[in-house]
Amino acid sequence: MDHKIKRLLTNWRIILLALFIIVSLIAIHPALSKGVAIRNVLTNSSASLAGIPQPKPTTLPVARERILSVNNKDVNSVEDYYRIISSLAPNKTVTIKTTKSAYRLSTKESQNANSSSKIEDLGLRVYEAPTTNIRKGLDLQGGTRVLLQPEVKQSPDALAALIDNMKERMNVYGLSDIVIRDAGDLSNNQYIVVEIAGATEEEIKDLLAKQGKFEAKIANSTVFRGGKDIVYVARGANEAGIEPGGCGQSGSQFYCRFRFAITLTQEAAQMQADATRNLEVAYDPATKQGDYLSEKIEFYLDDKKVDELNIGADLKGQASTQIAISGTGTGSNQQEAITNSIENMKRLQTILITGSLPVKLNIVKTDAISPVLGEQFINNAILMSLLAILSVAVVIAIRYWTLMIAVPILITMLSEVIILLGVAAFIGWNIDLAAIAGILVSIGTGVDDQIVITDETLKGESANIYNWKEKVKRAFIIIMLAYATVVVAMIPLIFAGAGLLKGFAITTIIGVTIGVFITRPAYSSFVEIMLK
Amino acid sequence: MEQTPTQKKSFKESVLEFYDKKYKLLLIIPILILVLSLGQIAYQYSTTGDFLSKDVSLKGGVTITVSLESNFDVKQIESQIQLQFPDNDVVVRTLSSAGSVVGLIVEADIDGTNKEDAQKLLSATANALQTDLSKIDYGIEIVGSSLGASFFRESLIALAVAFLFMGIVIFAYFRTFIPSMAIIIAAFSDMVFALAVVNLLGLRIGTAGVAAFLMLIGYSVDTDILLSVRVLKRKEGTVMDRIVSSIKTGMTETITAIVAVTVALLVTQSEVIRQIMLILLLGLIADIFNTWIQNVGLLRLYIERKAKKGIII
Repeated sequence: MDHKIKRLLTNWRIILLALFIIVSLIAIHPALSKGVAIRNVLTNSSASLAGIPQPKPTTLPVARERILSVNNKDVNSVEDYYRIISSLAPNKTVTIKTTKSAYRLSTKESQNANSSSKIEDLGLRVYEAPTTNIRKGLDLQGGTRVLLQPEVKQSPDALAALIDNMKERMNVYGLSDIVIRDAGDLSNNQYIVVEIAGATEEEIKDLLAKQGKFEAKIANSTVFRGGKDIVYVARGANEAGIEPGGCGQSGSQFYCRFRFAITLTQEAAQMQADATRNLEVAYDPATKQGDYLSEKIEFYLDDKKVDELNIGADLKGQASTQIAISGTGTGSNQQEAITNSIENMKRLQTILITGSLPVKLNIVKTDAISPVLGEQFINNAILMSLLAILSVAVVIAIRYWTLMIAVPILITMLSEVIILLGVAAFIGWNIDLAAIAGILVSIGTGVDDQIVITDETLKGESANIYNWKEKVKRAFIIIMLAYATVVVAMIPLIFAGAGLLKGFAITTIIGVTIGVFITRPAYSSFVEIMLK
Repeated sequence: MEQTPTQKKSFKESVLEFYDKKYKLLLIIPILILVLSLGQIAYQYSTTGDFLSKDVSLKGGVTITVSLESNFDVKQIESQIQLQFPDNDVVVRTLSSAGSVVGLIVEADIDGTNKEDAQKLLSATANALQTDLSKIDYGIEIVGSSLGASFFRESLIALAVAFLFMGIVIFAYFRTFIPSMAIIIAAFSDMVFALAVVNLLGLRIGTAGVAAFLMLIGYSVDTDILLSVRVLKRKEGTVMDRIVSSIKTGMTETITAIVAVTVALLVTQSEVIRQIMLILLLGLIADIFNTWIQNVGLLRLYIERKAKKGIII
């Protein structure tokens, strides 16, 4: 027995499984976090002026900055936080202690007469401190519900096209957990309802409500627009980012310039050639050289000038399809300026790729909304999964009449759940209903495969004919073929429309891949060592 | 009394013999079920214009937003409104601002163009809140589906492509048309049966139900591939021996899954999980006859045809 245990502990397949479980647990990082986590810091608010940094979207949930106390009063829940904040008086200093630092904010008198609070919004948006790094989806966690109204009433077809464009924008920007629906009221007003998880108010304002009409002008005539005039927008790290030496300071403000390349259509390039043909080369009196043309290329976003660039003299009359686009971002320190600049760049790239919305949208209302699946859903789902997993072990124990198979299958199922959640936490994948369905498929087909391994190696007529390696190989032929079939079936679902199918397909592919390459080999090694 | 040899056979042996000899006759059962299921779905489509009945998450409906400062029990309000709309789906959620609850939102899959129904939902909401309509601040909206109008068209195309891809992979391995088709038909039949029964039970399908139907693909192919590999690629024993050994392994898989799904169905309090588990249960039951009668029957027909040409598998 001792040497069997030793062989188990030194088997590389079992070691690999153990390693994956440990790494997954580290990625999930269960923690009892105190305080409330900061979701968002509004620009130019008291909080932002006091130097509380805007959390980066890439920060892991458990590592987020948390507010521990306000004026030495402990904050243990979101209700605590808002209760303490609402009792603050104007024109005083507030001390907010977080996990990273202590900040001193000054309160301002409220400008809004209807507000129940005496002070102006501090500009902090908080949520219950996350206890793991697993991000929950819109249907499990809730999110923000925004009611938008088109400035001009749209026909049903135009409305559908508008919604598709908005969805594409969110997709290109990298927010997948979003539901956009058309809506109307009884007096025939037209609305668009957006439900979104994990986006800030600014992102909603800039990406959904803004029309995003991008124009490049030379000497006040438009040379190209965002969307259809553009073939390609460079987004790789080498072709897009902060300009070298593009950061600086003016007064107390820091700023950074970003730049990225785009490729124009031939027609747009020709427009530009026509616009530059008759321009003069401006001679710089200092260097006595003519580097640039007399007019600049100016970029307008929703009719507001966002940036301008000199045009190289060698481009005069040239139908060049390669154009550099630039812009800036500012902040109260260099790091913030870099972050804001990169954010502005991402939004501009999104708008250039997807083109402008056919109409401007007004935000009618913004609310936080509770999840559609309700508060008890997660606990209920966990309880149910544990009982279902246990019942599988019982059936297996009865079928093979030994715990030596039932217990390993039980352990395999649990480790598959842990590794899948670990991967989800690591890549920042949102766990929602579709993902849970994908997890259930992975575990279920995993049990099927374990039964195949058991029967191929321990039972049946073939038991005496082939050697062990051959038997394992025969089991894995069946497993790999079923695996390949399921994976190819999931691929078209990734590309079909709504997020539901995509979330399900991706989770299933990741889940069955983990099973086939990590947990299945470990199980077959276990059977070989213990039962051969 | 003299016993004939046939009478000596145990029950198990006679069942196996019937299963062995009359596989063509047995094949009628799954084919009949498939035809009836397709008939049900066609009937559903011709009467309602849709091949399944959609719930509020797929169809949209009417939402009522109510501003409310006081505390309330969402579940209780939901069940009270549900009582007045037994044929509709009602979902109640809370709205909050700055950390405190500021209102609730009621969503029901009623026809928004019918103002009477919308009015009825409004008064049901007021009743559940134990207040008068004139005293509350509310808004009423007709919302579209959360998955969009094109969702079903796109998913059906995606499913068709998924089946095609599965066919290519299976064909690449077995290099024969009929056995590959048999696996695809079995997976397809499982989904069709589950959908027809769901329709007969009058259940409305939401996003969770759609996910459950997709889950059937994964569970379905497992047993069919096990069967086809053992029958076509193994040499030991007779074809019937290999089928019986596949049934032992495959039924262990299916029964394990059925027990797990039934346990989940019994303990869950969540309507969404109940829907997923019910669809899985139906699909797994269908998988028993679609694998062990339909797929086996098609495989044996194929082997018989080969045998006539002088090829023994």
